Amino acid sequence: MKRFVPTGEMTLGPFFPREFGQGANDLTAFEGRPAKGEPLEITGRVVQADGSPLDNVVLEIWQADANGIFRDPADPRYAQADPNFFGWGRAATDAQGIYTFRTIRPGAYPGRAPHVNFLILYSGLMRQLQTVMFFEKASDPVLDAVEPAALRERLIAKSEGAARYRFDIRLRGEGETPFFDD
Amino acid sequence: MSAPATWKSKYVIEPRDARTQSAGVEPGYAQTEWRWPSQPLQRRPHTLSELTGPQDVLKRLAPVRGDLAGQGAKRAIGQLIHLRTQVVDEDGAPVAGAAVEIWHANAAGKYTHRNDSHDAPLDPNFYGAARMTADADGRIELRTIKPGAYPTGGAERWWRPPHVHFSVWGRVWLSRLVTQMFFPGEPLNDSDGVLNAIRDPQARVRCIARLLPQTEGPENALVYEYRLVVRGSRATPALP
Repeated sequence: MKRFVPTGEMTLGPFFPREFGQGANDLTAFEGRPAKGEPLEITGRVVQADGSPLDNVVLEIWQADANGIFRDPADPRYAQADPNFFGWGRAATDAQGIYTFRTIRPGAYPGRAPHVNFLILYSGLMRQLQTVMFFEKASDPVLDAVEPAALRERLIAKSEGAARYRFDIRLRGEGETPFFDD
Repeated sequence: MSAPATWKSKYVIEPRDARTQSAGVEPGYAQTEWRWPSQPLQRRPHTLSELTGPQDVLKRLAPVRGDLAGQGAKRAIGQLIHLRTQVVDEDGAPVAGAAVEIWHANAAGKYTHRNDSHDAPLDPNFYGAARMTADADGRIELRTIKPGAYPTGGAERWWRPPHVHFSVWGRVWLSRLVTQMFFPGEPLNDSDGVLNAIRDPQARVRCIARLLPQTEGPENALVYEYRLVVRGSRATPALP
């Protein structure tokens, strides 16, 4: 039974401790043990309305492991989850607006194509922004929910060689990334 | 692709209420117009991916200082306070073991951060950032000093009231909460562009901590109580 209203979200502000953004962008190992699967680099640039890059944007990701299992007991296949894949990470952009994650390629699972959830926090963003990165055009209920359909390609990362994907994020303006409200 | 999943979540996230959440672009806060999307946000179905989330985040992020005020010769300057915070979901159920990050300015209104150009002194005994895990009842208690107000710069001559930043992980990916807590009775609360981005007056009041009776805490500190409500509630069981 609902009793409380969610607390109002507010901006991260300009003074998020810089070291809080560091040290959690490599998901390819957990507690020193390597995760199963294909290691990947996901990198991109975060820009605002005038196209200028943003420094110290905090990005968080959440994804399934190589077999498409989430490290959460709510996943029916949790017992088979890779114990060495944490599934969550955080990166912060540098002065050129570039972020980088090292992770493993998420597996598909019934109902969803492989994807990585992104959450963006920054000064001047009064609420978190959510978007999703896909590896290729695919049938997926979240990708297919994006309207108009021409925008869907903006959620598909550009392959830059076998183990590297580029996913740029434009908060506002021409070529704006589609974001989700939930 | 396989057939559509038959998985049904026991936990649900309902749409944000526009009265109790910022609209995104806020008049008088120029950065919001550079950064908040111009296009309507997309709606999506909620699947396993959005309704699961990281467990034990502090296994990835190291815990940092549960006491920002320090002791003896290393005591930070300022009014000693204890913040008693509880993390609950919309059902009021405590989020046991919730990870919480907290950061705030020093007593002079200055952050220990290279981007802070405010002409106010740093306090060598105050750093101002903590990362903690809530107990089984969703509670954390932080000993710190009361932050000062500071000007934001720019044409509006807008001063931020004393506030404390919180970053909280709820039960699932969509429960993530980043917010700010305010202090009761502060005259700057009424003109603050961040607090007043929450349109509903009652929702704003809930962003202000409650001062407990002075008998509630240690002799040398004021105690403030605060509730952080993360998104999410148990799904209503389907009727037979």
